[in-house]
Amino acid sequence: MAVCIAVIAKENYPLYIRSVPIQNELKFHYTVHTSLDVVEEKISAVGKAMADQRELYLGLLYPTEDYKVYGCVTNSKVKFVIVADSSNTSLRDNEIRSMFRKLHNSFTDVMCNPFYNPGDTIQSKAFDSMVSAMMVQAS
Amino acid sequence: MSIPDYMQCAEDHQTVLVVVQPVGIVPEDEFFRIYKRITSVAQVSIRDSQRNLYIRYRHHYLPENNEWGDFQTHRKVVGLISVTTCGSAKEWPQTSDRFHCQKDVFGATLYDSRLLVFGLQGEIAEQQRTDVAFYPSYDDCPDVEKRVEDFVESIFIVLESKRLDRATDKSGDKIPLLCVPFEKKDFVGLDTDSRHYKKCCQGRMRKHVGDLCLQAGMLQDALVHYHMAVELLRSVNDFLWLGAALEGLCSASVIFHYPGGTAGKASGREPSLSLMSFFPSPLSLSPPSGALTANGISADTSSEIGRAKNCLGPEDIIEKYKESISYYGKYKNAGVIELEACVKAVRVLAIQKRVMEASEFLQNAVYINLGQLSEEEKIQRYSILSELYHLIGFHRKSAFFKRVAAMQCVAPTIPEPGWRACYKLLLETLPGYSLCLDPKDFSKGSHRGWAAVQVRLLHELVYASRRMGNPGLSVRHLSFLLQTMLDLLSDQEKKEVTQSLENYTSKCPGGMEVLTLPDGLKLPPVPLSKLPIVRSVKLLDLPVSLRPHKQKGLLENNLSSKSPFIYSPIIMHTRGEERTKKIEFRWVQGDVCEVQLMVYNPMPFELRVEHMGLLTSGVEFEALPAALSLPAESGLYPVTLVGVPRTAGNININGYHTSVFGVTSDCLLDGLPSVRTSGCVVEVIPSLPRLQLSTSLPRSAHPLRPSKEELSSSVSVQLFNGETQQLTITLENIGSEDLETLEVTSKTCNTKEKLFGEFLSWDLEEAVSQLPLKPGQSVTLTVNVKVRLDFSGGENLLQDLNDDGISVTGLPISSPLRQVLKPRAETKALGSESSKTDYNHVKTLEAVMTFKYSGGAGKVEGYYRHLSLGVHVDVEPSVFFTRVSTLPATRTRQCHLLLDVFNSTEHELMVSANNNQDLVLHPSECQRMAIQVAKFDFHTLPQPDQEAVRYTNPKLLEEERLHAQASMISSTLGITWNIISFDGEASVEGVLNQLVLEHLQLAPLQWDVVVNGKPCDCDIIADCKVGDAVPLEVKLTNRSKNAVGPFALTVVPFQDYQNGVQNYDLQDAVTFIGSNTFYIDTVKPTENSVCMGALLFLYTGDFYLNIKFQDDSAGQGKELPPSWFGLPSVHIKALEVRPLSEHH
Repeated sequence: MAVCIAVIAKENYPLYIRSVPIQNELKFHYTVHTSLDVVEEKISAVGKAMADQRELYLGLLYPTEDYKVYGCVTNSKVKFVIVADSSNTSLRDNEIRSMFRKLHNSFTDVMCNPFYNPGDTIQSKAFDSMVSAMMVQAS
Repeated sequence: MSIPDYMQCAEDHQTVLVVVQPVGIVPEDEFFRIYKRITSVAQVSIRDSQRNLYIRYRHHYLPENNEWGDFQTHRKVVGLISVTTCGSAKEWPQTSDRFHCQKDVFGATLYDSRLLVFGLQGEIAEQQRTDVAFYPSYDDCPDVEKRVEDFVESIFIVLESKRLDRATDKSGDKIPLLCVPFEKKDFVGLDTDSRHYKKCCQGRMRKHVGDLCLQAGMLQDALVHYHMAVELLRSVNDFLWLGAALEGLCSASVIFHYPGGTAGKASGREPSLSLMSFFPSPLSLSPPSGALTANGISADTSSEIGRAKNCLGPEDIIEKYKESISYYGKYKNAGVIELEACVKAVRVLAIQKRVMEASEFLQNAVYINLGQLSEEEKIQRYSILSELYHLIGFHRKSAFFKRVAAMQCVAPTIPEPGWRACYKLLLETLPGYSLCLDPKDFSKGSHRGWAAVQVRLLHELVYASRRMGNPGLSVRHLSFLLQTMLDLLSDQEKKEVTQSLENYTSKCPGGMEVLTLPDGLKLPPVPLSKLPIVRSVKLLDLPVSLRPHKQKGLLENNLSSKSPFIYSPIIMHTRGEERTKKIEFRWVQGDVCEVQLMVYNPMPFELRVEHMGLLTSGVEFEALPAALSLPAESGLYPVTLVGVPRTAGNININGYHTSVFGVTSDCLLDGLPSVRTSGCVVEVIPSLPRLQLSTSLPRSAHPLRPSKEELSSSVSVQLFNGETQQLTITLENIGSEDLETLEVTSKTCNTKEKLFGEFLSWDLEEAVSQLPLKPGQSVTLTVNVKVRLDFSGGENLLQDLNDDGISVTGLPISSPLRQVLKPRAETKALGSESSKTDYNHVKTLEAVMTFKYSGGAGKVEGYYRHLSLGVHVDVEPSVFFTRVSTLPATRTRQCHLLLDVFNSTEHELMVSANNNQDLVLHPSECQRMAIQVAKFDFHTLPQPDQEAVRYTNPKLLEEERLHAQASMISSTLGITWNIISFDGEASVEGVLNQLVLEHLQLAPLQWDVVVNGKPCDCDIIADCKVGDAVPLEVKLTNRSKNAVGPFALTVVPFQDYQNGVQNYDLQDAVTFIGSNTFYIDTVKPTENSVCMGALLFLYTGDFYLNIKFQDDSAGQGKELPPSWFGLPSVHIKALEVRPLSEHH
C-alpha cells in the first residue's frame, strides 16, 4: 500500500498530492519532486528508442532508505507517482501496476468531467476516495 | 584516510601530486599569487621523449592520505614546493630549518623538493642551489615557472627510474608486499613464503607499476600491467587491491577514450583551493556547463580499440567501475576510496550521457558511510552530490542536496552558523524548484508549481537573509512570497507573513529598487499588486460643469475606424489594444482628475494601504495620494485616485503606487492582465477658466424630471400663474484663467403645458461688458422668470358653473359688468370636489439655462465649458377665464370682451385691466368682467417671411398667426391680478376662440363716415346748424384681398325718442341734397372709394342717420360676412342758427 500518491501535470507541477503521515507532508513533496528527474530521464530515454511501444509503467524510480518510489506516465505526459514503504516487502510489481491502472482510470474520469479545467488541481471527491483506498491506513 | 577528495576524476590517476605550502609568515594573497603561477605548470612534456607529465598541485594535504600512496600512487606526495619570506640573512637558517621540517612530514614519499625564498638578498642569495631559489620580492620572480618545470623534470627522472626499477625487477626473489595503512596489522605473522602471499605481492606490485606507468605517461604499458595485476589479484581474492587494479584499468581507459578529461577544464584545482582557504563556500564547484558537450564521447572508439587492445570499451569501463566499487565496499576503511571511485564513475557516465546509471552510482555514493563526518565535510559532501546531480541533469535532485547543504551550513551544532553561505546555496536551489525571483513570471494566470516546497524555500531564504543581517533582502523575499504565493497561504500563514514583513520593514522599508547581491545576482523589485487586488481601472470624466467641449466648427473628424464595416458582430479587440485605447472625454490641465479603481482585499484582516497614487506618463502630473483601509476579505470596493495634470497633452495612466506593510510598490497595468480597463490614455487640454454659479433662489431639492441633460445645479421656485420673478445669477470665476467669453442660452423642457410669452428673459449686455473676468471676480445676471400658462378654464368648470343654475350663455345681457356667481353653496362643494382639484393642480415648468464660457489657453484650442442651471417652477393657478365672449360696443370699432374670471386661489384676489376698474374676487369666486376694447387690426402684425412660409407647415403657420393675434390682444388688454403682495398678469391667449377673434377683428372693409368734416362714430355727436347743408362723406377702404362692390348705400335718418320709439317719418325735417343713396363702385384691394352727399336739417333736434347697406350688387355682397358691413350710425345734433330762436 502506498504512503504517498501524486499526480503531476505535463509541465511538472503537481495536480494532486496526498500522503499518509500528515506531519511529514513536506518530505513527500520533496521525494516526489526529486523523483521527477528520474521520470523525465526515463521518458526521454524511452522516447529516443521507440515512441510507439512505450510502456506507461516506469517501474521503480529510485529507492530511498525508507521508501520506494514508483512512477508511471500517460501518453499525455501526465505522471503518476506512488511512494511505498520499503519495509513492505510483500508489495509486488503487479500490485503496483494495478494501482497505477486504477489511478489512471480514475484520473480519466476526472478529465471527463466537463467542469474540470485541465491543468487545475484535482479536487474530485471520487478521485480522493479512490486514492484513500490505495493508501496505507494511518494507524 | 577520512577526507575524500570529491574533485577527483579518472584522469587524476595519471598525475603526480605536488604540495605547495607556505613556510613561516607568507601573506595569503602573495602565496596564492605564487601558487597560481606554479599551478599553471600543470603539464610538462619531457625532453627526448613523447611523454607528458601531469602535475596535480595541492596547497594542503593530509599526511594521513599520503599513507595511501602505495595503494594509488597519485595519492602520494612526490614533490614539495615551499614558499617563504625571508627578510634578512639572519633569518635564513631558521627558514631553512623550517623547510626541512616540512620536508620531513612527507619525507618518505618525496622525490624532490624546492624552496622559493622571497625577499632575501645578498650573500646567501648569491649561492647557486638547486633546491632553493631566491627572489628579491613577490613581484620580481620572472622564472618561477621555469624553476617549476625544472623541478617537474627532476621528479620525472625519479619517477621514471622507480618505474624501470620496479618493472624490470621481475625475477627478484623478494617482492615487498605493498599495503594500505589499515592492512598492516593483518599481515603480522603471515607465512611470507606461501604461494598465495607471493602472488599477492606480485599482483600488488604489478598494480603499483601500472600506476607508475600511467603517471610516467606510458598508457599502454600501464594497461598491460593493470590487466596482469587483475588476473593475479583475482586468483588470490585480494579484493581491495583487485578493486584498485580494476579502477586503474578504468582510469587508463578513460584517459585513452576521453583525452579532454572528465572533470571539465580547470575545475579540478581552483575550487578545492577556495574550499580549503575559507570554509563554507563550495559554490563555484560546478564546472562550466559547456564542458560536458565539449568533451563528449570520442567519435569512433572502435578503431582506437584495435590499436589499444588492452583498453576497455566505454561499456566495460562502467562494468569494471561497478565491480571495483563493489570490492571496495567490502572494506569499511576504504569508504573514501569507494566514494571517490563513485564520483569518478559518475563523471565518466556524465560524459557518456548515461544518466540513469550515473544516478545509481550517486545513489550508492549517498549511502557510503564514512563514519563521523564534521559539519564542514557534510556540507562539502552534499554540495558535491548536488553538483554531480546537476552534472547529469537531475536539477531537482541537485537542488534538494544543495538545500540540504545549505541547511547544514546553519545546523544548530555549528558554533558559528554560516548564514551567508546558506543563503547563497539556497539561492542556487531556486532554478531546481522552478522558482524565479522575478514576479513577472507569476503574473500569468494562477500559480503552478510545487507550492509547498517553494513556500518553504522562500521562508528559508527570508530567514537566512535576516540572519545574514540584510533585512532588505528579507523584505524583498517576503514581498515575493506574499505576491506570488498568496493564494496558497492559509489565513494563519498570511497573518504571520505580513506580521514579519511589517517587522522587517520597520527596519528597512521595501522599495522598488533592484537589489544586487555581492555575487552579481539581481533581485528585481516585487510590486505587491495583490494587496489589494485591483479588478478594474476606470478613468472618470470631469464633473458635468467642468467638462470641456470642442467648438462645433472646430470639431475635427476623428472617426478613424479600422474596419470598413459600419457594424460587425465580430468584436475584434485584444486587451493590449484596449489598454492603449484613447478615451472619448478629455481632462483639463490644472483641474483635478479622477480614476476609479475597483479593489478588494484578499487578506483575512484589515488592510491599510497608504500613499495610493497614480503613475502616469506623457504629461506632468501631480498625483494626490490617498490612504485607505479595506476591511477583511472585502468585496469590490471603489477607490478614487485623484491628481492634477500640470501640462497639456496625452496622458497615459500606467499604473498605481501603493505602500502596504511598509513596502512601496509601483504596480504597472501592463503587468496585470487581470485588470479590466476601458482605456488608459486621455487627452489633457490646456486650462480653461472655471465658473461657479450661485443664485438668489433656493436650490432645487428635486432634479428636473427629464434629466437627459446633466445639470450643474438647479433652482426651484413656486409662482402663481402669471407671476414674474427675478432670478439673480452670480457667476464667479474660481479658476485660474481669465474668462473671456460668455454665452447664455435657455431651453424650455418639453412640458405638456402650453406656455405663453417668454419664460426666461435676460439682458446679457451688462455682464458681457465686464469681461474678461479675472480669477476671483464675479459677474451677476438678472433673469426674469415669467410664467404665463393657459388661463382658460376647461369645460369642467363651465359645467360646474352651469350647475349653479346661473346662465352665462345669455349674451345679450346689456350690463357689461354683472356678478354672475355668488359664493357657492356649501352643499355644492361636495359634489364638485373632483373638478375643483383640477384647478388647484400645480403645474410645473422647467427650463435649462446654459452658460457657455471659455478663456485662457483652452479657448485658443477651441474649447469651452458650460454650466447648466435647471429652473424648476411650480406654477400655482391664479385666475381662470372660464368663458369668453364679445358684445358689440356702441362704436363700430370697439367691442366689449366679456371674461368670466374665476379665482382658484385661496386668497382674495383683485383683477384689473387697462382702462377698467378693479374687480375683487373671493376665493373660488367667479365673476364676469367686461373690457371695452378697440377692435384690432391684425394686418399691422408683421407678415411672416415669404421664404419661411414656403417651407413651413401651413398648419403651423396658422397657429403662429393665431398666436400673434392672441398675444396682441393680450398685451392690449393688460389684465393683471394681485394676491396679497403678489401680482402678475393674466393672458387671455388661450381662451380666445375663433369666433371671439373674429369679433375682435376689424372688418376688412373699413367704413368711415365724415359728417360736416368730422369723422363720426356711434357715440360722437356731430353738430350742425339748421338750414345749413351738412356734407356727408362715406369712405370705404378695402383691406381684404379681393375687390369688393359695387355697393349701394341708403342713408335713412330717424329720431330716437329714447323710449323705444323710433321715428323714421322725417321727410319734413331732413332733406337730402341730392340722392340719399350712394353708389360705390368696385373697390380693388388696398384702394378706397369715397362718395359724397349732403343733408339739410330743417329743424333742430337729435337725428340719427342709419346707413343701410343695400344689397343690390350682383350677389357679390352676399358672400361677404355681415360683420364687414358694420357702418356706424351717425348722431347729428341740429342746432338753431341763432341762439334766441332755439325753442320754437
